[in-house]
Amino acid sequence: MRNKLRDVLVALAGASVAAAAFYAATPTEGQAPASRIPRTPDGRPNLNGIWQALNTANYDIETHLARPALAMRPGPVIPVPAREVVALGAVGSVPAGVGVVVGGPVPYTPEGLAKKKENQDNWLTRDPEIKCYLPGVPRATYMPFPFQIFQSDKAFFIAHEYAGAVRNIYLKNPGPPQVDSWMGQSVGKWDGSTFVIETSGFNDQSWFDRAGNHHSEALKVTERYTMTEPDHIQYEATIDDPKVFTRPWKIAMPLYRHVNKDARLGQFKCVEFVEELMYGHLRKEPVK
Amino acid sequence: MRRRLWILIASCGLLCAATPVAGHHAFGAEFDPDAPIRLQGKVVKLEWVNPHAWIHIEVKKPDGTTEVWMVEGGTPNTLLRRGLTRESLTYGTELIVDGYQTKDHSLKRANGRDVTFADGRKIFMGSSGTGAPRDGRDPIEQKKGRGGF
Amino acid sequence: MAIFAKNRSSRNAARNPRSGAVCAFAILAALAGVITATAQAPRSSAAKTATAKSKPWTAPRTPDGHPDLQGTWTNGTITPLERPDGSRVTLTKDEVDRLEKGAEDRAKRLDEPSDPNRPAPPKGGDGSTGAAGNVGGYNNFWLDPGDRVAVVNGEWRSSLIVDPADGKVPALTEEARQRNAARAAELRGRGQYDHPELRPLGERCIMSFGSNAGPPMLPNYFYNNNYQIVQTRDHVMILVEMVHDVRIIRMGGEGLPSHLRPWMGDSIGRWEGDTLVVETTNFHPLQRFRSASESLKVIERFTRVSADTILYKFTIDDPSTFTRPWSGEVPFTRIDDLIYEYACHEANYALSNILSGERAREREQLKKKQE
Repeated sequence: MRNKLRDVLVALAGASVAAAAFYAATPTEGQAPASRIPRTPDGRPNLNGIWQALNTANYDIETHLARPALAMRPGPVIPVPAREVVALGAVGSVPAGVGVVVGGPVPYTPEGLAKKKENQDNWLTRDPEIKCYLPGVPRATYMPFPFQIFQSDKAFFIAHEYAGAVRNIYLKNPGPPQVDSWMGQSVGKWDGSTFVIETSGFNDQSWFDRAGNHHSEALKVTERYTMTEPDHIQYEATIDDPKVFTRPWKIAMPLYRHVNKDARLGQFKCVEFVEELMYGHLRKEPVK
Repeated sequence: MRRRLWILIASCGLLCAATPVAGHHAFGAEFDPDAPIRLQGKVVKLEWVNPHAWIHIEVKKPDGTTEVWMVEGGTPNTLLRRGLTRESLTYGTELIVDGYQTKDHSLKRANGRDVTFADGRKIFMGSSGTGAPRDGRDPIEQKKGRGGF
Repeated sequence: MAIFAKNRSSRNAARNPRSGAVCAFAILAALAGVITATAQAPRSSAAKTATAKSKPWTAPRTPDGHPDLQGTWTNGTITPLERPDGSRVTLTKDEVDRLEKGAEDRAKRLDEPSDPNRPAPPKGGDGSTGAAGNVGGYNNFWLDPGDRVAVVNGEWRSSLIVDPADGKVPALTEEARQRNAARAAELRGRGQYDHPELRPLGERCIMSFGSNAGPPMLPNYFYNNNYQIVQTRDHVMILVEMVHDVRIIRMGGEGLPSHLRPWMGDSIGRWEGDTLVVETTNFHPLQRFRSASESLKVIERFTRVSADTILYKFTIDDPSTFTRPWSGEVPFTRIDDLIYEYACHEANYALSNILSGERAREREQLKKKQE
């Protein structure tokens, strides 16, 4: 039995390496059929539209097997879902997924890795997603919610359905960020047919996923958006945070366009959804 | 002397003539008019956040021990637009605060009714502006900002 | 200095040009006396531009040929939504100078140093009214309410509302009054601090405390009255700084079915010549702009009138709430600055302070009863 499990894990690890290699080798500029890609009047790829990642990176950016729940506790035989989530049953289970991290595990420093483990052990009280806090970058990109790109002659703006998070991508560099924020300060420019966004000025509050992967306020993210076909963007993000990681590292994934004619960004202003969670204990009488 | 007391009356004046707001800031909902306080202490933390910035100051109690109080401010976005950042108030700076405690007295929090340096000058007075109107109405006088787009 | 007192006299009160205490401007116009009856041509830069000797200004266009509304704008102003009693539609240059200088002087005064030996403020409150809540709020340097009177078509305006002619919100219908009464009756016996859902939307960090996003998009008279507009072929996106709300206006297309009611409603835009017209319906049931009902329709018109100004007109159409439609005009002025992140919920100490404060008070009262 153990060998089978090991074989499965090895196969999955191999698949994730292969996938990473595949995505690293995916054609970027100059190789895609240029005539099919929608373009703006100035000849750039037109990224306007509603997009979404199709993976389980928000559960865990590294390759992972399915498991019963996001928070577990000791059980009489094997661990069982934590009391707070057991009622969700399979809805609260974690699906398997190939990792989106390119080239090996996330290169944590020892302290960084220890903190990740702490985050996992305290997921219910620590994951900012649970409280509907802004998701940060790049987590916002692969949340299980669409986002809409507004690309004009003057601006590049990303509106996320999740929590109404917004990213204004400055096309003129306004200088170093004057303040820490959840979504950082982003500056974008074209590198041929790839749109490159550099983001810094983060606070240290957001996570990269539900697996406790985290960062400090020194985080810098460099994203590359390359439209490979009219309905696909190849997305890469390099994470650079010397306070938490021993070197920069990269994630990669395709982004898929919502192609149905009546596609529109929904609204997920979840602040009111978490009021019982966050303020229920301050009610005049608690809800029974 | 009385002038510094009229901190938000004009805002109310404008506000009362505009949309009837049920509880912007709700200062009256959060703070206890029967629990005035005067705090003097050093800045140990600055939460540069919305909807309110919070200045943490360490005050010495009569028995010689210290305790940390949180003082409520406003939106840091206003300060950012004047060229101020969180670095504009250095840790260790001595401040004097007069205000009222939160209704929950156990929290050691108060409104920053008037927050000054030890010599009485208001904090966050620095600015990169020319004094031109902040709504940018006269483009010629408008201060050079960090750029719209 | 006069304490502000809102004048709630009848809307049919005759204009009284000799009134000294005009509501809303009372503080700012502490030096103001008589409000004169004649309007004069303002020497605003907008007016100067319009009458300049050079060729008339034309709006820049986006690649698809429509006027370009893009940029960062503010609608902050001194001018209130409703016209103060006794004011005319437009103000004279003297009145405007007094108001704007008054605002500037007041800010300077409030920024002056305080007495370092000042004591704690008085027990029982400091007497401050309105938002300051008898506890004095916080220092004036946190505020950025706009320090200019609104200029529209070269006129200094005494109110944002231009229709009806008295510049005031029309009376509520009987139906609306009954709705409000029913709602109040439901709340009787419940304390306003009993549950987070009973607190205002702004305090809960769901929307701004004023109608910044609306629509209609109105200044809140406190701060962060800033907007960013991005225009693509199929959409107009408006980022509202308070509370990082995004309005996505679809150009053309079908509306949502009536049972689907998102925050900020459902907006559909179209061009009428050089004016962007946006109609919004399907408002969220809790948004209730000024007691509005589910059948509220807001019509907005955006016209770029100069390099630095968009003229924004709004019409409120809700026959089940207001005895007639009403409209206003608000200049949106270009700012050379960034919209900063307004993450509200993520550090909302105030809401928990308010709720825990009331719970603490209740415990104290219970303890006193038991003694």
